[in-house]
Amino acid sequence: MGVEASKPWQQVLDKIRTWARVNSPWAIHFNSGSCNGCDIEILATLTPHYDVERFGIKLQGSPRHADVLICTGPVSLQAKDRLLRIYWQMPEPKFVIAVGSCGLSGGVFHGCYNIVHGIDEVLPVDVFVPGCPPRPEGIIYGVAVLLEALKSGKRPERTMKVELPAGVDMTAMEVGQ
Amino acid sequence: MSTQQTENRFIVPIGPQHPALKEPGHFEFVVDGEIVTGASVRLGYVHRGIEKGAEDRTWTQNLYLMERICGICSHIHATAFVQGVEKLAGVEAPPRARAIREIFAELERIHSHMLWLGVAAHEGGFDALFMYSWRDREVVMDMLEMLSGNRVHYSANLIGGVKYDLTPEMMDKIRDGLNYLEERLLHYLNVVNNDETFIGRTRGIGTMTREQAQLLGAVGPTARASNFAYDVRVDAPYAAYAEFPVEMVVAEEGDLHARFVVRILETMESIRVLRRIFDNLPESELVTRVPRRIPAGETISRVEAPRGELFYFIASNGGEKPERVKVRTPSLCNWGTVITLAVGHKLADMPMILAGIDPCFSCNDRLVMVRRNQRDPQVWTWADLRNYGIEYYR
Amino acid sequence: MSATEEILQNAEDLLQPYAQSLTRPETTRLDVYLQRENLLAAVKALVDARWGYLSTITGIDRPAPAAEDDQTQPEGEIEVLYSFCSGAAVVSLRVRVPYSNAVLPSICPLIPSATLGERELMEMFGVKVEGTPDTSRLILADSWPEGVYPLRKSFVPPVRVSGEAEGG
Repeated sequence: MGVEASKPWQQVLDKIRTWARVNSPWAIHFNSGSCNGCDIEILATLTPHYDVERFGIKLQGSPRHADVLICTGPVSLQAKDRLLRIYWQMPEPKFVIAVGSCGLSGGVFHGCYNIVHGIDEVLPVDVFVPGCPPRPEGIIYGVAVLLEALKSGKRPERTMKVELPAGVDMTAMEVGQ
Repeated sequence: MSTQQTENRFIVPIGPQHPALKEPGHFEFVVDGEIVTGASVRLGYVHRGIEKGAEDRTWTQNLYLMERICGICSHIHATAFVQGVEKLAGVEAPPRARAIREIFAELERIHSHMLWLGVAAHEGGFDALFMYSWRDREVVMDMLEMLSGNRVHYSANLIGGVKYDLTPEMMDKIRDGLNYLEERLLHYLNVVNNDETFIGRTRGIGTMTREQAQLLGAVGPTARASNFAYDVRVDAPYAAYAEFPVEMVVAEEGDLHARFVVRILETMESIRVLRRIFDNLPESELVTRVPRRIPAGETISRVEAPRGELFYFIASNGGEKPERVKVRTPSLCNWGTVITLAVGHKLADMPMILAGIDPCFSCNDRLVMVRRNQRDPQVWTWADLRNYGIEYYR
Repeated sequence: MSATEEILQNAEDLLQPYAQSLTRPETTRLDVYLQRENLLAAVKALVDARWGYLSTITGIDRPAPAAEDDQTQPEGEIEVLYSFCSGAAVVSLRVRVPYSNAVLPSICPLIPSATLGERELMEMFGVKVEGTPDTSRLILADSWPEGVYPLRKSFVPPVRVSGEAEGG
């Protein structure tokens, strides 16, 4: 996506990329301190009743293979670093979906001392799925909204600067964001 | 929790993000070849500070906070809290309300155990069972949604009663669902008992004797599978468990297989109790009058969550907020068993043993995490590992 | 209920020699107030008699009430409850330690599973538990400042104004 679409072959390549991306987004799921409710619902979307795999969405174990980070929870201080690591390990282009009220603002845990109050405090979030917890249909809809935005190329510019996980020296790492 | 020292040890870390773990937790297994010689666990990724948060919220607000300690056993957390508050206020919920609490609790147990059955099978590489049990679990989720309008956090409890009533039509629908579930559960029991590959992964794995269970402080189905028979529902009946008692399910073997069997039989027992409640649901109002101020005092409220005994200590100073709420969740007690049971087994069995206690990180991490004693010289930082990778492929 | 009563009576007999005072706040509960020195002996009595199991260790912060004009400020205390359950009966051993000397002996040699509760106590209340197998920093995030105990009443979570960025 970072490629300047100047040459025709690049445009064709971009189209193929977008097509592949939209038709088969691989997701990684991380719980940053939620109550589990959202995580169960995310898992439920994979099972026969909802079955997101028919849309090509697959839950992937490794961040290195993932396109979409589906994240839940208010980001506890301990999980924050791990969340950043997972984010940095994902290859570009990467997208973040925040699921659940506490992932949006801290929700019911607002004011607790050990949380960062929302995923968007740490990562640039592309899609917010509200609800405590959202229904599986809601989560699927959230992914669909993201895919729709990708298809039309209307993804907003990312301006947020993402922190580095503690103890990582980025000068030694040529991971471009 | 404890790390056994060996010469030339090799540590396999698992987590906090790992395909086998749906929630963050970090484990380190010290292995000698394939065999695990030591294990440690470090939790705390889901620590949010709820106990402090509870001191900053009113009694009613806390009801919703407590429900969100855990998304799997949300109703039982709220029930434990509400019963404690009712004890402090000196009121008792009306009979119908108590029966409805039991209905929710048992439906929740069915959904939790079926969820666990799926996840545990998944850890064992038995994805077909995972998909089937989760498909059937949706039947319970639909029931809960029909009753309360939500799939996960039902918010059925109020201080002094419950919010939702059951109509006869609802009960008929639930009965139909239960008939279907019972049939399916019999099938799963058959699979668990007779499928050769499954038995190969479960029988004789992670065996815990009754003495060990007692010493390590195991609770719930994990303890009952080791013939350590106690169940708060039976020993200290709360809600409507005195009127509609459950039978305790225990097993002798203490291995993973026994844990599967105990949980499935417990689910069937829940179905039996639910049918009994539907046949004899008492008539009364749903909420009783509760004094506006909760008088000062302290109380202990114990309930049986799907994973074991849930312990609430609630102190009030007569104000509008609690003085102290202490929550001791069952998963916490069961951690000690994993660490001990892991030793001597193959690394490949670890996910199954972990799943065998039905761990619930969000329950645990509300407060406690454990980490190893000192930084191991063989632990590599991320940068080390990356450089090693670059060098290796050069 | 009589069975529970019997169990409680049994516990009362076991703990009588060590207790400062015994109360029955509820029909199923027995509260035993202890001096710190007697804690180990009392726990040992319960363990030796195989009375129930340790359910949890609860800490409660009891800050000193505001001082009167001509009095010296009394010192706040941490109250620690060791709750043992057997059937419906719950026995709580209650020990109070002052802030300045918040030290308790570990009961891990008697009940190994107590370690989690003791470590929680150390981290959240700043009670030093002597002899617990692992005394390293354990509960909070790695970045948590030293010497801040979140469950003490004096700790107030930082106020967060929501909607700052949006101007709401």
